[in-house]
Amino acid sequence: MSEGALSAAAAVAPDRVTATASFWRALSAWRGWAAIAKWLGLVVLILTYVPLMWLAVMSFSGRPLSGIPYPLTLDHYASLLGDARWVEPFITSFVMGLIVAGACMVVATMVGRSIPRMRRPGGVLLIALTPLFVPGLTMGAALFIFIRTYLELRLGAWSIFVGHLVWALPFALLMVLVIATRFDHRLLEAAEDLGAKRWRRFWDIEFPIMRPAIIGAGLFGFLLSFNELLRSIFLRGSETTMPIFNWIMAASHQSQVPIIFSLATIVLAVTLPLMGGFFWVLFTRLDRS
Amino acid sequence: MASAVRAEGARHPILEVRDATHRFGDVLALDRVSITAAQGEFLTILGESGSGKTTLLRIVSGLEKPSELESLRIAGQDVARVPASDRNCTTVFQHYALFPHMSVGENVEYGLKVRGVALVERRRRATEALALVRLGDKFDRRVHQLSGGERQRVALARALVTRPAILLLDEPLGALDEKLRQDMQVELLDLHRKLGLTFVYITHSQEEALTMSDRIILMRRGRIVQEGTPANIFERPATRFVADFMGMENLIPARFEGLEDGFAVARVGAHRVRGNWCGVEQAASGDQVHVGVRAERVRFAVSGDEGHPNQITCRQGQTVYKGKYVDQGAETELGTISARIWDHGLDPARITHLWWRTEDCVIVPD
Repeated sequence: MSEGALSAAAAVAPDRVTATASFWRALSAWRGWAAIAKWLGLVVLILTYVPLMWLAVMSFSGRPLSGIPYPLTLDHYASLLGDARWVEPFITSFVMGLIVAGACMVVATMVGRSIPRMRRPGGVLLIALTPLFVPGLTMGAALFIFIRTYLELRLGAWSIFVGHLVWALPFALLMVLVIATRFDHRLLEAAEDLGAKRWRRFWDIEFPIMRPAIIGAGLFGFLLSFNELLRSIFLRGSETTMPIFNWIMAASHQSQVPIIFSLATIVLAVTLPLMGGFFWVLFTRLDRS
Repeated sequence: MASAVRAEGARHPILEVRDATHRFGDVLALDRVSITAAQGEFLTILGESGSGKTTLLRIVSGLEKPSELESLRIAGQDVARVPASDRNCTTVFQHYALFPHMSVGENVEYGLKVRGVALVERRRRATEALALVRLGDKFDRRVHQLSGGERQRVALARALVTRPAILLLDEPLGALDEKLRQDMQVELLDLHRKLGLTFVYITHSQEEALTMSDRIILMRRGRIVQEGTPANIFERPATRFVADFMGMENLIPARFEGLEDGFAVARVGAHRVRGNWCGVEQAASGDQVHVGVRAERVRFAVSGDEGHPNQITCRQGQTVYKGKYVDQGAETELGTISARIWDHGLDPARITHLWWRTEDCVIVPD
């Protein structure tokens, strides 16, 4: 039947059918695709790494805004060390990152291991992951209005924490769910059969198997919190985090810009290894289990 | 010997399940099933998938909570309300369920670790258990480095190391290939003899059940249909289902006629067939029954060689060459009858009759 239909169509417009088909075939066989993909990839990599390296190089330049690396100097780092204003925001962000990371690990583990046990997890999953798609400005403003105007609470570090947790948790949850949904619950039955009680089964079996995902959840939590600006602006009260400090400095007087260069370089030096570690965990450790 | 074990077991069974019923939603998976196992017995629960055999095993281990249960005793102790972690039995799972993040040795010693056995002692006992399953040198291996057969043996060692009163085996050889399965059967039997431990073994393979068991319980649709020794179930199936399940190739619908010299007589068309009555209750004349005879018990005769019991004229049917033997079909008035011929010298074209001994023939209720 399909052969009949084909030959009928061919009978109506044999030339057009063949022409269209051969056009697409020729298009998909074009050798240029591989070259385009290669060059596009290269452009993206250049756009990513050149500015970063430029920033790092310029942080050692005597005249960073001129774009000339010479004369080389450590002045900006020295003035950064001499300038105490950035220390407090840095500590605030670092500690905030750790706390958000810890909260993400605990909450994502508890929620993430419960969702696959539900009879119909679809709805809960959707609601839990939707914050991923809520714009930061919207979420920040909404939380601000809710906490400040409706609950009439004083903003501060705690409200920044709430904003960061709401922001980072879906990512952390996603991380944990990758393993939790593949977790073989028959292993827990085997452990129970061998004499392990509920708590023991979690610590001996479930936790070690999910550990890479839980660490990933923590790393995500830290990085997302450490970099967060949009929500923090709304929820800061009188607190200042690292991104807020950088933003204020970069936006105000030009004289502070060199310090931003060196500060950004230091932040990069902290976060890149962290990210590297995260991906090592993700691909090396997860693959093994 | 086996009967002595059973008599002893009847007085002091190591396992006693009374009236276990289990429902999954509206589905009745287990319908008032009672079983007992004697100390040191190799008890096989045989049945096709969905017969309730695995549910029964999970109720014994405590991993499944039965809908209703009269009583459940392991080694004399009532464990109906005891959680799985506190029952004195361990399971070898079909899917192994080895812990992927632990080494072979850590897997084996896990049961001892949760019992608080000191490191040195549990290392020693885990090594011993591994040696028992011939994996003494694999203590530090990762689980994923092992072959299927080795994983199965690790699972076995892990279940044995805590010295349970009963070892539950849930289709443990199901995932292995044919050759390995036969080797493991021998190994399991060897272990059973060496340890004197009670094995409750689940399988859907009648061949496995016959080879290994002291006693077989055959289940169907959540109920026990027959229990007895392998020979008993193989030779004297109590119903048509059992006969079919135990691989009886020829099952011919018939009408029961009566008893004659201790044998049952059934009528198939114009023929009268004599055989052993295997039903639990006596049949009445005119009841629908089945005449059963195994292919390897059907014999052929050529003209001139007549006067055998249960003799029927036939002509050659389909011949299937199987290597060790030939499956020879024969067309008769009773329909097609399959026979298994081990003697390759027989020329199937010369066959004129087939027959079987009265003792080799069973007559079973529907």
